[in-house]
Amino acid sequence: MPLPFEGKTHEVISVREETTDEKYGVYPEKRTIEQKIPYGFVLLDKAAGMRSKSAANVAKRLLSVLGVNKVGYSGTLE
Amino acid sequence: MLLLGGKEYVALMHLHKEVGNDELTTAISKFEGKITQLPPVRSNVKREYRQREVYALDILEVSGKDVLLRAEVESGTYIRKLVHDIGESLKVGAHMSELRRTKVANLTEKDNLVTLQDIEDATYYRTEEHNDKFLSYVLQNMEKAIDFMPKVWVSDFAVDSISHGSPLAVPGMVKINDFEKGEMIFLSTLKGELIALGRALESSQEAIKMHKGIIVKTDSVIMPIGTYPRYIKS
Repeated sequence: MPLPFEGKTHEVISVREETTDEKYGVYPEKRTIEQKIPYGFVLLDKAAGMRSKSAANVAKRLLSVLGVNKVGYSGTLE
Repeated sequence: MLLLGGKEYVALMHLHKEVGNDELTTAISKFEGKITQLPPVRSNVKREYRQREVYALDILEVSGKDVLLRAEVESGTYIRKLVHDIGESLKVGAHMSELRRTKVANLTEKDNLVTLQDIEDATYYRTEEHNDKFLSYVLQNMEKAIDFMPKVWVSDFAVDSISHGSPLAVPGMVKINDFEKGEMIFLSTLKGELIALGRALESSQEAIKMHKGIIVKTDSVIMPIGTYPRYIKS
């Protein structure tokens, strides 16, 4: 059984036809690693017994070499 | 924002005394559907009874006093509590000895799940060997994590003002998904980039009929200011 939200697709209603200027921004799938960093997330399989907060801190330290300075997390509720 | 999505867990329940299979199945079936839970003493929410939905609860394996469960639950359901309550209902008592989240919203263990060691390796490959292949596997686009939310696609001219925290008004709206008033909205560029998350002040039905006014109030901005050009009134 799918969870609420799982595999959820929405109908798209077009208000008007409009194109985007290729000069600005970048399509998510075409991002370079540098561009992906501020838009990145990691699906982390942390070790048992480790707190989510500590895992996020370790991840932050590991990623800091890439210039990452902000890490948040959404952890498990027991 | 993944917080909002449903969750799937695999939990190990340790019964304090062995029970028969039929008894176990009957007890567990009582915990499917709407349940009432009191959050644990040590929790980050107010301690009062609240209703949550258990979408599915199955027994995967039984070995003596150990029962492996799979639970699909609404966001905010405490599994430790659920296991405890099953134990009470069986009159033998039980506690949760292991827990693993296997799904959240639209993400599963098959979606590039990595370990801390993988992150370390990926950064090593990038900095020491100039190989980004592993890092691009580890690091996923944030848009994918919140794919399940309804979107509003915003015209290029309105992107910068949203990244400053301004709300989205009718003229900036190009395409929309269905949404209800008050729902959390993914404000997207026409390229599919996440600009910000917002709250719908109108339903999509209303929004398409409007000629002016605010549709989405901006909550948290992700896109850096200046990614798109500033709108100059002509």
